Amino acid sequence: MPEMTLVQALRDALAVEMARDDRVVVFGEDVGRRGGVFTVTEGLQERFGEERVYDTPLDENGILGMAAGMALMGLRPVAEIQFVDFLWPGFDVVISDIAKERFRSGGQYGVPLVIRSPYGGGVKGGLYHSQSPEAIFAHIPGLKVVIPATPSEAKGLLISAIRDEDPVVFLEPKKIYFGIKEEVPEGEYTIPLGQARVVQEGSDVTIVSYGALLHEVLRANETLKQEGISAEILDLRTILPFDGPTLLESVAKTGRIVIVVEAPRILSVASELAAFVAERAVDYLDGPIVRVTGWDTPFPYALEPHYLPNVRRIVHGVRRALGLVP
Amino acid sequence: MQAPEHGTLTRPTPFTREPLRFLNEEGLPEGDRDPREVTGLSDAQLVDLYRAMVLSRKVDQMGWILVRQGRAGFYISIQGQEGAQVASLLALEPQDWVMPYYRTPPALHVRGATLVELFGQILGTNADPSKGRQMPAHFGSRKHRIFVLGSPVALGHVVAMGAAKALKYSRENAVVISYGGEGSTSEPHFHSAMNFAGVYRLPLIVFIFNNQYAISVPRAQQTASETLAEKARAYGFEGYYVDGSDPLAVYWVTRFVAERARTNHTPALIEALTYRLDPHSSADDDLKYRPREEVEAWKQRESLARMRRYLEHLGLWNEEKEQALHAEYDRAIEEAVEQAEQAGPPDLEEMFHEVYHTTPWYLQEEAREARRFAEEQEGSHA
Ligand SMILES: Cc1ncc(C[n+]2csc(CCOP(=O)(O)OP(=O)(O)O)c2C)c(N)n1
Ligand SMILES: [Mg+2]
Repeated sequence: MPEMTLVQALRDALAVEMARDDRVVVFGEDVGRRGGVFTVTEGLQERFGEERVYDTPLDENGILGMAAGMALMGLRPVAEIQFVDFLWPGFDVVISDIAKERFRSGGQYGVPLVIRSPYGGGVKGGLYHSQSPEAIFAHIPGLKVVIPATPSEAKGLLISAIRDEDPVVFLEPKKIYFGIKEEVPEGEYTIPLGQARVVQEGSDVTIVSYGALLHEVLRANETLKQEGISAEILDLRTILPFDGPTLLESVAKTGRIVIVVEAPRILSVASELAAFVAERAVDYLDGPIVRVTGWDTPFPYALEPHYLPNVRRIVHGVRRALGLVP
Repeated sequence: MQAPEHGTLTRPTPFTREPLRFLNEEGLPEGDRDPREVTGLSDAQLVDLYRAMVLSRKVDQMGWILVRQGRAGFYISIQGQEGAQVASLLALEPQDWVMPYYRTPPALHVRGATLVELFGQILGTNADPSKGRQMPAHFGSRKHRIFVLGSPVALGHVVAMGAAKALKYSRENAVVISYGGEGSTSEPHFHSAMNFAGVYRLPLIVFIFNNQYAISVPRAQQTASETLAEKARAYGFEGYYVDGSDPLAVYWVTRFVAERARTNHTPALIEALTYRLDPHSSADDDLKYRPREEVEAWKQRESLARMRRYLEHLGLWNEEKEQALHAEYDRAIEEAVEQAEQAGPPDLEEMFHEVYHTTPWYLQEEAREARRFAEEQEGSHA
């Protein structure tokens, strides 16, 4: 199997699906000639032509409206929003049309499309190149939300997202676009949506995370191992519909849970998972549910190193879940 | 620089198919009008205009150096737009308001922002009036009547429109100018700003740098309109197409529409034809989408060279003055960078302040938590 970065794996997924299905069309700002500002679509216009891979005017409302209309007519658009922080001029299309098309038409219509967009911090991008708005999308019934944490996941999940009958917001952790390489299966490779991955089995505590922070959790795990703490680590992968059964099974085993996300804490995905566990598994819990998250502030520039959850904060969260610190 | 004494300027022609200009590509006056008469600019003001353009270029060059040295995280350039940016700012009055876009900051010394403040923003230190909250290229300063921009393209236009409404409401004799690239005209915000400005007759100038690319996307793929200026027609007011490498033409048009907007609340759209000489930003590779020769050809036509040749033609400038100016600015910039850096990074608590006017309890708690982690971290490094 070839080694790939996350960006290469995404590009591979797009190429595989475009070759297989001529309903798949890719567009957005700078995705054509430039191959995307993060090079995800590099080479695709040469290979598939300007009708299937093209640049749009600088207008997210236009991009998302175009995607919605094309999907309505049976195409499989994959629209790129250059940074998810810039999606909002087109949010009306997402929340009012894309999310509700199937329901409001009594199933007559559906919009099987993918909105691909880099998200998250760790790149010194300040307020508007760093945000993690996955909870905002997950709060809208009708949308699926997916976040890969490794190159293989990026490929397998993106292909599944393109094939899915429902609209998928596919958020890509830009911090690890180039930093991680691994072997990625060739050709058609899918990972079902809605399934978490058990990254490591353990018995003392469940740690759930996703995206770039999963790798911070793995680093924190080195410290935990030295302290003799056995962590079960879950990579959520699909934010909605999230994998409730796997989560409950794990908490039933460990009795403790720490949820690690980089978005602000209030009404975050961590909040939903915490509430879910509290409602369904309170009898299994031997300690407090702990959330380790970004602070409830806009994403700062100069103070970014203090904003993102790091090994120290994750380890502290685990110790709290285990009752080792107050 | 003082505004010229005499009141009303001759009216530039709106909606031309060719850009308005006084200076040809060699920097020599063309046509039968003397630009000094039309603009009302004195010899001393012409020299000041050029000096401000050179300072903007040099601030910009230092911005790139700071990125290469790893002292700044990111940079986005003004190069190729100094003439239009500086001249349009100089055409305003102190009571006017400026909505910058990310290429404007190296010219904001024209509004009185100090070099220390400008570099404080680039370096994210306490010398930044906005306390290092945003990435470089996002300078704002209330005392200079400069709004603080966000990164979303065109967002400033629609907010500037609201500010113009407030000026009209409170009967202030002032305008708002909102800057953006030609890409910004594709966004819904641009349309809303233009539409409301026309409907409410607002003292708003939307100033568009048509630098011919929005990152990699060429102007022709941005809009099917022949010019951007002509979009104003559909909103019920005038658009002006001006050569952005001719600072005199830009000054004239901007000053004219600003005076008119202050007296009878007429909005205007200005399209300045320019060229972005640098990559889009320090994160871009422009050779992926445009040939080197195209960039080189535009370097021959840009505003700095043109303005310098015009001043030399008038006998107001020479090599000796040029050298002295560079030496003066080199020193000033070096000192400013040092001072800006010495101001130091913002305090950790600054992350939690000014999310709200009064910090709520949970943010106070989070601030204490963050402080504890930071101290532990320091302790473990000791
Ligand atoms: C709403 C939004 N979409 C996308 C971006 C990413 N982006 C930043 S600058 C830019 C191109 C802007 O081009 P233009 O308006 O012509 O200004 P120029 O950079 O050429 O001066 C893009 C796409 C953004 N900042 N905001
Ligand atoms: Mg442009």
